[in-house]
Amino acid sequence: MLNIMKVTLKGIFRDRVFQGIMVLASLFLFIPSAASLSMRQVTELSITLSLSLISFILLLLAVFLGATSLWKDMERRYTFSVLSLPISRTTYLLGRFFGLALFILLTSAVLGAAACLAIKFASTIYPSERAVVWSWLALALLFATLKYILLVAVAMLLSTVSTSFFLPIFGTLCAFMASGITQQVYEYVHSPAAADAISPLAKSAVSVVYHLLPNLAGFDLKVNAIYSFAPNLAGLGITAAYFCAYTAMLLGGATLLFNRREMK
Amino acid sequence: MSKQLPMMLLLIGLFSYAVLMGPFTSYMRDKPIEEKLGYVPSIKLLKPLSADQKELAGASLVLKVMMYFGNIVSLSHEGPVISKPPDLQGMSRLLHGAVQLDPYNMDAYYFAQGILTWDARQYKVANDLLEHGMKYRTWDWYLPYFAGFNYAYFLKDYPKAAHYYNLAGDLSGEALYKNLAGRYLQESGQTELAIAYLTGMVHTSTNGAIKQSYEIRLKAFREVRRIELAVDRFVVEQGGKPASVELLVQTRYLKPAPVDPYGGRFYLDPSGKVSTTSKFAFATKHK
Repeated sequence: MLNIMKVTLKGIFRDRVFQGIMVLASLFLFIPSAASLSMRQVTELSITLSLSLISFILLLLAVFLGATSLWKDMERRYTFSVLSLPISRTTYLLGRFFGLALFILLTSAVLGAAACLAIKFASTIYPSERAVVWSWLALALLFATLKYILLVAVAMLLSTVSTSFFLPIFGTLCAFMASGITQQVYEYVHSPAAADAISPLAKSAVSVVYHLLPNLAGFDLKVNAIYSFAPNLAGLGITAAYFCAYTAMLLGGATLLFNRREMK
Repeated sequence: MSKQLPMMLLLIGLFSYAVLMGPFTSYMRDKPIEEKLGYVPSIKLLKPLSADQKELAGASLVLKVMMYFGNIVSLSHEGPVISKPPDLQGMSRLLHGAVQLDPYNMDAYYFAQGILTWDARQYKVANDLLEHGMKYRTWDWYLPYFAGFNYAYFLKDYPKAAHYYNLAGDLSGEALYKNLAGRYLQESGQTELAIAYLTGMVHTSTNGAIKQSYEIRLKAFREVRRIELAVDRFVVEQGGKPASVELLVQTRYLKPAPVDPYGGRFYLDPSGKVSTTSKFAFATKHK
């Protein structure tokens, strides 16, 4: 599996994805001046912009790398050559996943370091009333990274049942958009305000969808990092456990489907 | 032909682009300010659309309002009459949207305090928004400070003003706000307190447009205070109230003559209070 991970990482670097990220990361240079447009929260805006830029880059990576990795291998007939070696399909798929996860982690670390420099610079020029808590910023970054790794697993699951990249890309994007609001919808339909307006059947349907789709809202610690609030550590523990369980479930499903897939 | 086609396409494209860029830039720059504020979808739609970027979406709404307001303030340089009244309702809607996306966004509260009170005169709306912010920004003394000022100066609700000034004093540890709380309870020195408030806002403003807007208002209030002091001296020395501001100027109690930076004319209303025909706002040209 380590070899597949290495090959995955090498492939990503060979495709010059990292150079592309570095071009996008040059936007960090403009963050302090963009944040200075704020009237009262320059440091806070610099953190908002930095975390948003990192999230955007990680989202692109998760969706496009996650959704095209398997498809590209099959298109290039690379999968057939690899699977003719004494490597199981499970090892191949998990190796691909962990390689992508490692790349996302690496990118997040590099971009996080650039973000820290931009934020430090902005906060030196316009000091904030509330000091930046760097450990919470690091936690926000870590959980954002976990969120996008989970999204890679969603994309890979969809890749195993699709013959083109359309379903994995658009399916992952839809799952991502829905995952941010499932909690709100679930709470609303089960609130007393919706008791008369929503039928029991609709409530059950919402509950099923809520449990099926990933709930990524819990991974969002931007507010804690931006406004320096202590996050709920017990809650973060549950979220981390949720990440492990849900990712395991997705990878289990993906390997099962990939093992059964006919390849001609 | 097929070999030349790409080069021709490129050259035609480059030429057309060079010709069009000038007029296109002018067209965009000269767009009416109302169009620049533009249409923003309902917050109910924006919330799910902004996915995990709600803070960014909130900040961008505030920036949109700031750019729009900056345009309006820059127009005031051209004279005391601006071509269109600012879309205060639109600005208020966007700022309310911004705090729904990010209830911690201080820029939204700060800006709303500026436009909803002095310009839109929506004091209750402004205080509701500030009270909403206080639920989230529990450490921030600015919000109760603003609310205290609004209750005292605009709404004349002195007990509430004192309550919020006390809260601002507790949060900031500044004795000044506790003193203000006491003064508001006595209902005295309204203009002086407005000057103290505006001076503080000018000193703490980092945004050029906002700072300029507060400076103009501060200038107007300083003129009002000068007239009030002249009236007081007139009453003491002449034993009665002056009939008009002009009389104060003629009798040299007021020197030089007061100038309203909003282009209006100061006068004494029947109760003796100093007012201005501009109502502390730039006049607008109606079509």
